[in-house]
Amino acid sequence: MVEVGDKVIGYSTDPGVRNKGASGGLVTAILAAALEKGLVEEVVVLKHINEYEAIPIITSDVEDVLASAGSMHTVPVNLAKYAIGKNVAMPGKPCDIRGVIEQAKRNEVNIDNTYLIGLNCGGTMYPVQTREMLINMYDIDPEDVTGENIEKGNLIFRTKSGEEKGISIDELEEAGYGRRLSCRYCDVKIPVNADLACGNWGVIGELTGNATFCEVMNEKGVRLLENAIDAGYVEIEPASDKAITIREKVNNVMLSMGEKWSEKVFTEIPDGERTQYYMEQFADCINCGACKEICPVCTCGEDSKCTMYHNLEDNYRMSMFHMVRLMHLSDSCIGCGQCTDVCPVDIPLTTIFRRFADKSQKKYNYKAGMTLERPPFLEVMPR
Amino acid sequence: MTENKQWEPKIVAFCCNWCSYGGADTAGMGRFQQPASLRIIRVMCSGRIDPLHVFNAFLEGADAVLVTGCHLGDCHYVNGNYKTQVRYDFMEDMVKELGLEPERLHLSWISASEGEKFANFVREVTEQVRKLGPSPLKPEGVN
Amino acid sequence: MAQSEINDDTKNTDEPRIGVFICECGVNIGGVIDCHAVADYAGTLPDVIRSSVNKYTCSDSGQSEIKQAIKDNNLNRVLVAACTPKTHEPIFRACVEEAGLNPYLFEFVNIREHCSWIHMQEKEAATEKACELVRMGVSRASKLEPLQSNEVPVTNTALVIGAGVAGMQSALDIADMGYKVYLVEKNPSIGGKMAQLDKTFPTNDCSICILGPKMVEVARNKNIELMTYSEVEEVDGYVGNFKVKVRHKARYVDVNTCTGCGLCVEKCPVEVPNTEFNEGIGTRKAIYVPFPQAVPLRAVIDKSVCIDCGACSRACSSNSIIMEQEDTFSELDIGVIVVTAGFDVYDPEPTHDFGYGLYDNVITGMELERLINASGPTMGKVVRPSDVKPPKKVGFIQCVGSRDKKRNRYCSSFCCMYALKDAQLIREKYPDSEVYIMYMDMRTPFRNYEEFYDRARDMGIRFIRGKPGKVTENEDNGLKVRVEDTLTNDIIDLDLDLLVLSVGAVSSESTERIRQILKVSRAADGFLMEAHPKLKPVDTTLDGIFIGGVSQGPKDIPYSVSQGSACAARATRYLAQGKAITEGITVEVNPDICVACGICVPMCPFQALSIEDGKLNIIKALCKGCGTCAVACPTGALQQNHFRNDQLLAQVKNVFTFEE
Repeated sequence: MVEVGDKVIGYSTDPGVRNKGASGGLVTAILAAALEKGLVEEVVVLKHINEYEAIPIITSDVEDVLASAGSMHTVPVNLAKYAIGKNVAMPGKPCDIRGVIEQAKRNEVNIDNTYLIGLNCGGTMYPVQTREMLINMYDIDPEDVTGENIEKGNLIFRTKSGEEKGISIDELEEAGYGRRLSCRYCDVKIPVNADLACGNWGVIGELTGNATFCEVMNEKGVRLLENAIDAGYVEIEPASDKAITIREKVNNVMLSMGEKWSEKVFTEIPDGERTQYYMEQFADCINCGACKEICPVCTCGEDSKCTMYHNLEDNYRMSMFHMVRLMHLSDSCIGCGQCTDVCPVDIPLTTIFRRFADKSQKKYNYKAGMTLERPPFLEVMPR
Repeated sequence: MTENKQWEPKIVAFCCNWCSYGGADTAGMGRFQQPASLRIIRVMCSGRIDPLHVFNAFLEGADAVLVTGCHLGDCHYVNGNYKTQVRYDFMEDMVKELGLEPERLHLSWISASEGEKFANFVREVTEQVRKLGPSPLKPEGVN
Repeated sequence: MAQSEINDDTKNTDEPRIGVFICECGVNIGGVIDCHAVADYAGTLPDVIRSSVNKYTCSDSGQSEIKQAIKDNNLNRVLVAACTPKTHEPIFRACVEEAGLNPYLFEFVNIREHCSWIHMQEKEAATEKACELVRMGVSRASKLEPLQSNEVPVTNTALVIGAGVAGMQSALDIADMGYKVYLVEKNPSIGGKMAQLDKTFPTNDCSICILGPKMVEVARNKNIELMTYSEVEEVDGYVGNFKVKVRHKARYVDVNTCTGCGLCVEKCPVEVPNTEFNEGIGTRKAIYVPFPQAVPLRAVIDKSVCIDCGACSRACSSNSIIMEQEDTFSELDIGVIVVTAGFDVYDPEPTHDFGYGLYDNVITGMELERLINASGPTMGKVVRPSDVKPPKKVGFIQCVGSRDKKRNRYCSSFCCMYALKDAQLIREKYPDSEVYIMYMDMRTPFRNYEEFYDRARDMGIRFIRGKPGKVTENEDNGLKVRVEDTLTNDIIDLDLDLLVLSVGAVSSESTERIRQILKVSRAADGFLMEAHPKLKPVDTTLDGIFIGGVSQGPKDIPYSVSQGSACAARATRYLAQGKAITEGITVEVNPDICVACGICVPMCPFQALSIEDGKLNIIKALCKGCGTCAVACPTGALQQNHFRNDQLLAQVKNVFTFEE
C-alpha cells in the first residue's frame, strides 16, 4: 500500500528499462504502466534527437515511452501547454508542473485526470552553449558525450570512452556557461507541486545510479505509483532516514545557491532610476508577441487585454502590452525563463517579471504554480 | 493653452457612480473650492476600475491617478470595493516597482455625503503632486 | 424569467454624428464658465456636427431644442454638458428617446458640480477644464452603443420592515390600494416608539389612544400579513423580484391560541427590569405581554431569564405554552420593500452626560415619558427615582447627544417639542412645581408648534438660554446645575429635584443591520440615505427599495406618517404597473475572444456567470452591471456595456493633449 507522504526508492522491474538510463527507469516504468493500464490516454515524453536536443511528443504508444530521452539538462522548453485538454501523464521539471497547475486554474487543464511526475531540477542549459562549453571548458568533443549529471555542485559529462569529467557549476557560470539565468535563481528544485516528486538525490549506496527517490505528494501520486506496482512494472522500498536526509541536504545546497544568485541578479535599483531602467529595457521591443505566445501561464488567445489596447501610435514611454503583462504576471509568473529565451532582441523579460513577481508573491505568501490556490489578484476579498 | 504657462498637474480620478462621484457632486453643491487639476471618469462601481485604465492614464500622461469608491461594506454590488482593494494593492506595488512616487496613486473611500472630504482629498493630492513635478511616464509634448 | 425587450431602436449608429449642448444653468455655470467658448471648442472636435449653448438645457425649450436638433442634423449621439447625471441623466435619456434615439446614445458631462461650482474664482481655468471635460465626453460619445433595457415582471407584494407608526401607515396605505403586504416587526408587538409615549405634541392627545386603533386596524387588514417578533435575515434579487428570508423568533407561546389573559404572567416567579417598554423603570416577568394595548396581544417568554419552572404552562388554560418551540423561517417573494426600521434613543450612560448614570435623579426624556404615562410603572406619577417622591423643581437640558460635535452634529428635531410637552404635563399635574428648560435654541417650526411654545411660556415654564456646564449632586440627591444664561450673561445656580435630559435620536442597530442586508447607503449621520435630499426623499439608489420614518433621519410623528404614506405611494407605482425596467448596462462576452478560463465566475456576487459546455454563460437578469468581472478577465472578452474598455480609455486619452 502506498500512502500520501511516502518516500520510497524505486526502480523498473524490467532490466532493460532499469539499466538504460542512470536512474533505474522508475519514471519510464510508471509512465508505461499508466498508459498500458488505462490510467491515462496519452503521455508526454521527450523524443531523443541527440545528446543535447530532444522534442516533446504526446504519444499513446508505449514504445515511444520506452525509447524516450529521459531527463536532459539541455532541453529548456516548458511542457505545460502539452497537457492542455488531454488525459495525460507528464514528467516535468518543477516549472513544467507549475505551468500545468496555472493552466488548471484557468480551466485549460483538468487537473483530476492529468498526472504529473515531477523531476528534481538543478537547472537547465542551452544546447548550443553547452556544446561550446564542452569544447572550451571540458576539452571534450561534444559528439563523444554519452551522458551528463549534476552531483555535489559539479556538472559531470561522460564520454564514449567511459571517462567522466566534472567542473563546478560556479566555475562554469563565472565563465558565462552553465545554467540558464532563470534556473540559477529558481527556488523550486524538488517538484513538491507534482503528484510524485522524483529524482536521484538521496539515492545512495548500492542503488546509486540505478534507482530513483520518489516522494508521493497526493492521492494522484498514490494512484500512479500503485498502478505501476500492481502492473508489476515497478518495485519500491522505503527510503532510509539517511537517504531522506541526503536528499534534503542536496536540495538545501541547491536552494542556497539559488538564493545567492537571486541576490546577485536582483540588486535593488535605486528609487529614482527604476522608471528609466524599465523604459530602457522595454525600448528595444519589436512587438513580436513571442513572450506572450510562449508563456506557459497565459491562456489567452491571440486577442487579449495586453494586445487589444496596445498601439504603437500611442508613443508611450512604456507599451500597454508590457504594462498589462507585468500586471498579469506579477502574481502568476512561475519564473520559467521562456520569455527571455524567445525574445529576439534579448530583453531580460523573466528577470523583469520576477522583479515584480518576487515582491508580490512574497507579500501574499503565494507562489504561482505550487498549489491550486487562486491567484491573489483574482481574490474577491483582501487577504 | 499658452506657451509659458506654469506646469499644473493633471490628475485622473476614477469614481464610482454611487459614492465617490456623488461625493464629488456634494463637494460641488457645498462649493468646496478645489484646484482645477482633476478629471473624473465615472464607472458604475470601483470594482470596474481596471489596472489597465490606471496604467493607461499614467502612460497617457497623468501625474497622479485616484481610485475611489464607496466605503467598505457600503458597496452597491455587495463586495465590489473589496475587489477594488485587492487590485489596488497590486497596482500600488507595481507603481512602486516601476519607480513612480507612491504619491501618484491613491485610493480613497468617499461616500456621497462626504463632499468636504472629496475636496480636501483633491487639494492634498494636487499639492503633493505639484511638489513632485510631472510624472516620469508622461510622454513628451503631452499636457 | 419572462422578459421582453424594448427600445429596439438602433438606427443611425454607424458614423457618429454628435450634437453638443452646453447648459449655462442660469448663472450656476454661465457665471463662471464661458459657455460659448466651450461650445465653439466642442464644434472643432471630431464627429461633432453642431454645438450650442442653452440657458437651461433641462427646461422644456432646452429639451425641444435637443429633439429638433436630432431631427434637423440627423444626430445619432447627444452630449449635454450641465449638472450631474445622478439627477438629470434620466431626464435627458428620456428626451433623446422621445426623438427616436436609443437612450444609451446620450452622454452627460458634469460642468457644474465638478467644475463651475468648485472653481468659482478661476474662470479661465474653469473654462479650460470644461473644454477638456467636453472633449473627454465627445470621445466617449463617439464610442457609445445602443443598449436594450429589459422589462421585468413585478411580484405584486410589498415588504414593510419595521412596524412603528411610519411602517404601519405605509403598510395600511399599500394594503388599502389592494396589494398584499408583509409587515415585519422585530419586537413582539407593533407600535414602535410612539406606543411608549404619553401625550403627543402639539395637541397633547394621548399617544396610545390615537395609535391603538391604528394598530388594531393593521392587525385586522386582510391584505396585511403581520409578522411580529420576526426579523429579515436575507434579501436577494432585484426590483419586482426580491427573495426575502424572514426569521420568526420563537415566542414559546402559541400565538393562535394565546388570549393574552395574563394568568401566566401572574404565576411567573422571575422578575427582571422592564427595559423593553418602560426604559428599565419597574419590572416585568420572564413571560410577559409587552404592554396592555399590544398587537398581537399575546404573551412571549424571555428565554434568557426563564428558569423553565413550568408555572406559566400550568397556569395557561388554553395550553398555549410551547417550551420546545424553535425559530421558524418564511421565504417570501416580494416586489417592493419599504424600510421603516426606526431609531434608538441617544444613550447618555456611557459618557455620563450631565451626571446621567452617576446620579439617580438624572433621567432621560424617554424615561420621563414612561413615568408620566398613566399606564406606566408609576401609574403616571412623576417621581424621583431616588426616593419615589414627586419633584418640586424639574429641569430639562436640551440637545443632549444632538448638535454636539463630540456626540452627533445633527439636530434631532423633536426634542424641543417633547420637552415643551412634558414640561406642560408636569405643570398641569403638579401646579406648584417649578419647571426650567435649558436650551441653545428652541426650534418650533410647523403648524401650531410655535403656539405650543407660547403656551408653555404662559404656563410659567422658565426658559434659560444656555447649556449647563456642570451638574453635581446634593446630600438629598437633588441636583445642583450651573448654567450661564447667555441672554443676560448671568451665571445661574439651580437646585433641582429632577433633571431630565432631552435626548435625541440615533440610528438604531437594527436599521444598520437591515441596511447592510439591503445595501442601502448610509449618510454621515448614520441614518439611511435617500436618493435625493429634495426630489427623492423616500427613494433609495436601489430600485424598489424605499425608506421612511426616523430610520431615514430624526423627525416627529406627523412627518414620519407622511413619509410612511410617501413610501407607499412610491412603492405602489411598481405594483400598479406590474413591471419594472431594469438597467440595460450589463456585461457582455465576446465569444470569439473568450477562452472560458472561468476566472470571472467567482467575481460575480450575483451568480450571473457560469461556464457551461466550455462557454461563458451570462444570465442578464441577474447581472447588475457593476463590471467588476470585466477587470478580472485576462482576455478582455468580457466587457461592461456602456463602460467598455475602449469607451473608458477614450476618455482617459482625451484628458490630455499633445503638442509637437
